[in-house]
Amino acid sequence: MLLGIDVGGTFTDAVVIDAGEVIAQAKAPTTHRDLLSGVLAAMDQALDGVDVGRLQRVALSTTIVTNAVVEGKTDRVALLLLPGPGMDITALVPEKPYLLAGYIDHRGRETAPPQEAEVEAACREMKEAAVFAVVGKFAVRNPLHEVTVAQWVRRFAAPDYITTGAAVSGALNFWRRANSAYYNSAVWRPFGRFAAAINQAMTERGVLAPVYVLKADGGTMPLAAAAMRPVEAVFTGPAASVLGIMALSTPEGEAVSLDIGGTSTDIALWRDGIPLFAERGARIAGYPTAVRSFWLHSVGVGGDSYVRREKGQLVVGPMRQGPAMAAGGPAPTVTDAMIVAGLADFGDKALALEAMRQVAVEGQTPEEAAQSVLAEATDIIFTAIGAMIDERAAEPVYRVEDIVRGSRPVPQAVIGVGGAAVGLAPLVAQRLGVSCTVPARAMVANAIGAAVARPTLEVTLRADTAQGYYTIAEMGYRASLPTKRLTLDDARDLATRHLTERAAQAGIPVTAVEMTYAEEFNLVRGFSTIGKIMTCRLQIKPGVFSPIAGKGGA
Amino acid sequence: MDAKPFGLVFFPAFDWAISPTHPEREERLLYTRDQIVEEGLLDIPGIREYKPRLALAKDAERVHIGVPDISSLITDAHLVSAGGAITAAEAVMAREVTRAFALVRPPGHHAMRVVHGTRGFCTINIEAVMVEYLRQHHGIGRVAIVDTDVHHGDGTQDIYYYDPDTLFISFHQDGRTLYPGSGFTDEAGSPKALGTTINLPLPPGTTDEGLHYVLDNLILPVLEDFRPDIIINSAGQDNHYSDPLANMAITAQGYARLAEKLKADVAVLEGGYSIEDALPYVNTGIILAMAGLDYSKVIEPDIARAPRGESEASRGYIRQLVAQQHALWRDRARLSREAVAKAGDFWQRRRGIYYDDSGINEHQTEVLRLCPACQGYLTVATEAEGHHFGAKSAFAACLPRQACPQCRREGRDAVVAAKKTGKYQHYFIQDREQDRLERL
Repeated sequence: MLLGIDVGGTFTDAVVIDAGEVIAQAKAPTTHRDLLSGVLAAMDQALDGVDVGRLQRVALSTTIVTNAVVEGKTDRVALLLLPGPGMDITALVPEKPYLLAGYIDHRGRETAPPQEAEVEAACREMKEAAVFAVVGKFAVRNPLHEVTVAQWVRRFAAPDYITTGAAVSGALNFWRRANSAYYNSAVWRPFGRFAAAINQAMTERGVLAPVYVLKADGGTMPLAAAAMRPVEAVFTGPAASVLGIMALSTPEGEAVSLDIGGTSTDIALWRDGIPLFAERGARIAGYPTAVRSFWLHSVGVGGDSYVRREKGQLVVGPMRQGPAMAAGGPAPTVTDAMIVAGLADFGDKALALEAMRQVAVEGQTPEEAAQSVLAEATDIIFTAIGAMIDERAAEPVYRVEDIVRGSRPVPQAVIGVGGAAVGLAPLVAQRLGVSCTVPARAMVANAIGAAVARPTLEVTLRADTAQGYYTIAEMGYRASLPTKRLTLDDARDLATRHLTERAAQAGIPVTAVEMTYAEEFNLVRGFSTIGKIMTCRLQIKPGVFSPIAGKGGA
Repeated sequence: MDAKPFGLVFFPAFDWAISPTHPEREERLLYTRDQIVEEGLLDIPGIREYKPRLALAKDAERVHIGVPDISSLITDAHLVSAGGAITAAEAVMAREVTRAFALVRPPGHHAMRVVHGTRGFCTINIEAVMVEYLRQHHGIGRVAIVDTDVHHGDGTQDIYYYDPDTLFISFHQDGRTLYPGSGFTDEAGSPKALGTTINLPLPPGTTDEGLHYVLDNLILPVLEDFRPDIIINSAGQDNHYSDPLANMAITAQGYARLAEKLKADVAVLEGGYSIEDALPYVNTGIILAMAGLDYSKVIEPDIARAPRGESEASRGYIRQLVAQQHALWRDRARLSREAVAKAGDFWQRRRGIYYDDSGINEHQTEVLRLCPACQGYLTVATEAEGHHFGAKSAFAACLPRQACPQCRREGRDAVVAAKKTGKYQHYFIQDREQDRLERL
């Protein structure tokens, strides 16, 4: 039995899932000042009459990290950078950094050592900082400097927490790792307080099942692991929705999913049942980070979108004036159009007709006006999908074969979830000329998504056979290679071993492992091949424990 | 931050090599990729990355006469790198960016008008393909190409030797000491285009100081004077002190400052084979400089290896070279008139051209009509021997843009007449006016 909780902008939803079926669901207002009370209200309601002893897992999609950033409730971070030669990012990070000596080059070779005295001076100056972040250029190729500087910081400043750059991401991009590490430390204490409160509340309720937190990439991580990398719990709402879709349906081939809410629609593109990822990472408070996330676009159209005429032109959204007129709202909305068009059935239809009369042009019936409104709303979503496809097709690739082959997604199906999906998703599908599914229970897809999301974890292995060593960036690990004649298969096996080890440390079961990235180059010096450079990234595949039966109304 | 938009077409062709251990192999831009991705350069708001388009064979044929045909001599990689240069130029023409850098491979500046194979790692001239594309599609007239590769850009020189609307300036390590062994000061253009080819052979060991002396005192003033519609930089990076194939002493700072001063509209990567010690830093420096960003911290970790200060001998030589070329530039109209008068109606040259990568020896005879009304038609008779194919030959006429009716007629007649003799295997008319390459 699984419990899933999703903290949304307006409501906090909770669902209990047993043997692939939703056996209880509950809703409580989100309490922004004190997230925990809303979470507990929804949870207590959902668990009413449920034997908590049978719960195997509790998973939570929370806005705690996002809120801390948005509301500025983050800690000041002492940000220590080892930038070496290159672009000056001093003005491009959230906090004025300390620039330290020491450089690791692109092959992971030390070209200048870090200076202990410099670190000591920085620690003295930042002695009031409770949290630190240490980020070195090319530390993903050799974590030595980050590890060494972190040790010195521990000695000189003894902060509550130190984030190192390579630990938050094994991918190249010093600037993004610096931002990620900064935010990881900045939200470390607020998240820790929240985690402690959750643990206590669970204990009080006799819930012994492990608590997991949803990540932006749609995986989950145990609360204890999340306490080390809280930045990954940013923007989990859209991730929960995408996972909900994964649990409720299995989009094959290329597809597009729409989460149509009150004022916005989140769009994701899918390939073979997996949503596409934002290649480089999410943006936090405008700063690009290395936090992996689904690739989503949001457009300002939803059920509550305000519909009016501006200079004779029909305009839909992006703002909201209130609920639909049919539900007692002050102004015409997309939902009113859906009611008039017979695509939704609730509230006072007479008021919905009045709403459409307000936006009709002369000689237009309310029904015709409703069709115009829906066509306009559909068009906004359709255009946004087109822009996403164009963006994907224009994404640079670095191999001749990939240029020649091209990579333009052609969605074959639309999946809609969210309050207004029943009305709008089929119209978007019609514009695209493809089929449409709106799964049952689409209204609580987010909480379902959180409940069934599988834990994920990744490692990046880079081996340099000419130098005879390899690194696992995320683990701060560097060791000699077992053989000079390493193949990509060997590298994959080695990475799998480390992933298993890392998963065990984090308390994560290893299920399906996939290689998400691999490259291999021959190293040639003086016209002979002296070795190979290989990079492979492995992850425990994101996904859902079990599909959810589509029984019951949406 | 100065967020001046700048376009970058990065295409390292990670699946293409001339041969597994050739300098032009998959690994060449690997460390450059590492550096620019690690720096976060592709995420800077002022830098926009573009995916290269695939150029068409027709784009290549606007410049080249491939024997037997261009498609059989190239791979898709060549069309991607030429397409990358076009993509960069298109972004500039559309004013999406102020300037752009096509950081692409394979290179092109040793590829001449007639192509039998690959020479100096080049098969098609990606800058020329781009320039002629711009002339065809955007009505660009005057073009300046500044070749900052350590090797003489003999292919680009060859293609524009007769074109007074294209200024070609190349500085390079002296041809007496380096491939391709050309690029001397007396190669200055055909009589009617005299002065619009400027060669600046520099002594081995030239440092940033010498290079910037040439730039400040000759290249920049000449560009100012020429008033081109567009400035192209053939941005080879093998003048670097660590390059294994040459002997110069330029640093990443020297290259970045060059890019900053030159203000090229489009830069296109050419050579550069110090793939670990130079390219990551030189490319980062050029990108930052072209984007108007601070590049002062882009310093090679092994900068202590770089020779410092120009030698007195080299300083003296460079001053003299600049003075001489400057005099030639100022006097070019008179010198051109004299050369035309001396040559009569036709100007002719015979050359041997060696294709080091393909093992081909080519013999070429070019005849240019010194037409009073237009640029004049050119005929090229070419014969090549190579162990792959034995021998191949062709006769072609090139009819320039705005060719006069007489040149159009005589050029065509020359090919028809050659075909009657049956001396050659292939016959072509490259017609820039009609934008097509015709086979007879």
